[in-house]
Amino acid sequence: MKFGKYLFDKFIEIVFVLFGYIIILMMLFAFKVPSEAIIGITIVFAIICIAVILTGYLKRIRFYNHLINNVDKLDKKYLVLEMLNKPSFYDGEILYEVLYDINKSMNENVKKYEISLTDFKEYIELWIHEIKLPIASLTLMSHNQKNKIDKRYEEQIKRIDDYVDQILYFVRSENAEKDYLIKETNLKKIINTVAMRNKDDLLENNISFIVEAQNEMVLTDSKWLEFIINQIVSNSIKYTRDDVDSIIKLKVEEHSKQIDLHIYDNGIGIPAKDIKRVFEKTFTGENGRNRSKSTGMGLYIVKKLCDKLGHKIIVKSVQNEYTDIVISFSKNDFYKIKD
Amino acid sequence: MKTIMVVEDEKTIRDELKALLETSGYKAILLEKFDNTLENILNNKFDLLLLDINLPNVNGELILREFRKKSNIPVIMVTSRVKETDEVLSMSYGADDYITKPYNPTILLLRIANIFKRMENNTSTSYYDDVKVYQNKGLLVKDDKELDLTKNEMIIFSCLLSNRGNIVTRDELMTELWNNEEYVNENALTVNISRLRAKLEEFGIENAIETRKGQGYKLL
Repeated sequence: MKFGKYLFDKFIEIVFVLFGYIIILMMLFAFKVPSEAIIGITIVFAIICIAVILTGYLKRIRFYNHLINNVDKLDKKYLVLEMLNKPSFYDGEILYEVLYDINKSMNENVKKYEISLTDFKEYIELWIHEIKLPIASLTLMSHNQKNKIDKRYEEQIKRIDDYVDQILYFVRSENAEKDYLIKETNLKKIINTVAMRNKDDLLENNISFIVEAQNEMVLTDSKWLEFIINQIVSNSIKYTRDDVDSIIKLKVEEHSKQIDLHIYDNGIGIPAKDIKRVFEKTFTGENGRNRSKSTGMGLYIVKKLCDKLGHKIIVKSVQNEYTDIVISFSKNDFYKIKD
Repeated sequence: MKTIMVVEDEKTIRDELKALLETSGYKAILLEKFDNTLENILNNKFDLLLLDINLPNVNGELILREFRKKSNIPVIMVTSRVKETDEVLSMSYGADDYITKPYNPTILLLRIANIFKRMENNTSTSYYDDVKVYQNKGLLVKDDKELDLTKNEMIIFSCLLSNRGNIVTRDELMTELWNNEEYVNENALTVNISRLRAKLEEFGIENAIETRKGQGYKLL
């Protein structure tokens, strides 16, 4: 708040006061008041005027500077009222109360959306548990009818299951709540679960599945990580090259500060211009457009889950040669929890 | 014959599970009513319990906790909830295993078989006629002769042995191998089986593994 501008703002009041002073001055002259008295009255009058302007200014500068500074500093600017005292001048009080009401109404509005979002999320989770039942029934049925039912049916059921999981983890990754549980997990065990899930696809497409891992333990949520690895391996299965014997290699490397999981394939790779954008939402790139239909959601969800779990993920690739996705788990003794 | 109790409220899954278990040589008891679930479970005699977490009226995890106070029979929790917390909770309440729906039926059977094997404590040795089979060492011993098998060969041989007289499909063998972190392909499986055959023959066990075209293999 600048004094000059404030003074300018008070321009009309000052004009009135000066006008009044001139009339008083004229009256004093008319009554032939001695000039010493006129000087005295003028000084007192001037002091009162300055005092009035200054007190008004000081009251406001305290309130407004506090307001402006806090808004600048705050990350969530709508919380600024919580940090202010109610002002002691009338127009400030009005402003304060109006802001308070606006704030309250906005909070109610946000709350409404929050509730509807939570409802929606809960419904999705519930729906997923429900849809898993017919999927489970179908899996069992086609297994029990093995002689009559083709393996292709089971593959399609698996596809449905993978897509359903994608929604589940999308909802989980978008939500601010913490619904994961981090504990020490054996990487080899999760890799095995993913391998079993994709066994038929891998065998069908003649892809060699190679795992190089000791019994490295990492801190993660095993269900989330299973989804992440499954998503990446599914991509590797989808984007193979015809001119080489396809391999998918999962290799665990232990470093002093982190453990890296490489998921390597010798598939079609990613064009250099696309590589920076693979984690963007709904980004499909050249491969997604040319090969099979792709939603561009898989890797986006993977990245979000990795961010939440605190794992680093990077992609290295040369088109028509390989893709190597590396997930890094930091080693942190502080978090070590025995279960 | 081992009896398995299935507690699952979805009728289709329940019936299909019964069919699956019965073709795999188990007896299955189904729970049809879910009013006094815990008592109904305890009123039956069985060797293993397959327990769903989402049950009408009651939570499977609570049933598990109460059940554990009265019985040491192994329990496998089955659920469509894909959350780490559920798994941790179930295991801490004393479940022996935890599987999420939809599961690969072969894997479910493997897990069941593993629990029974663990209970009987004979994971390491079994017999094929007068041949002693040391699974952990990958060794067959007959009189004073010894035969070394590779890990893959041993997995295939024990799988055939535990289903002796029945046909084991290539897919089942494949599942067993992959489950043991041996990610072999179709060719490698064929090669492993013919090598196993040759080794057995050299050892004096001739024509033990029969090939059923289009179906699988059988250990005679």
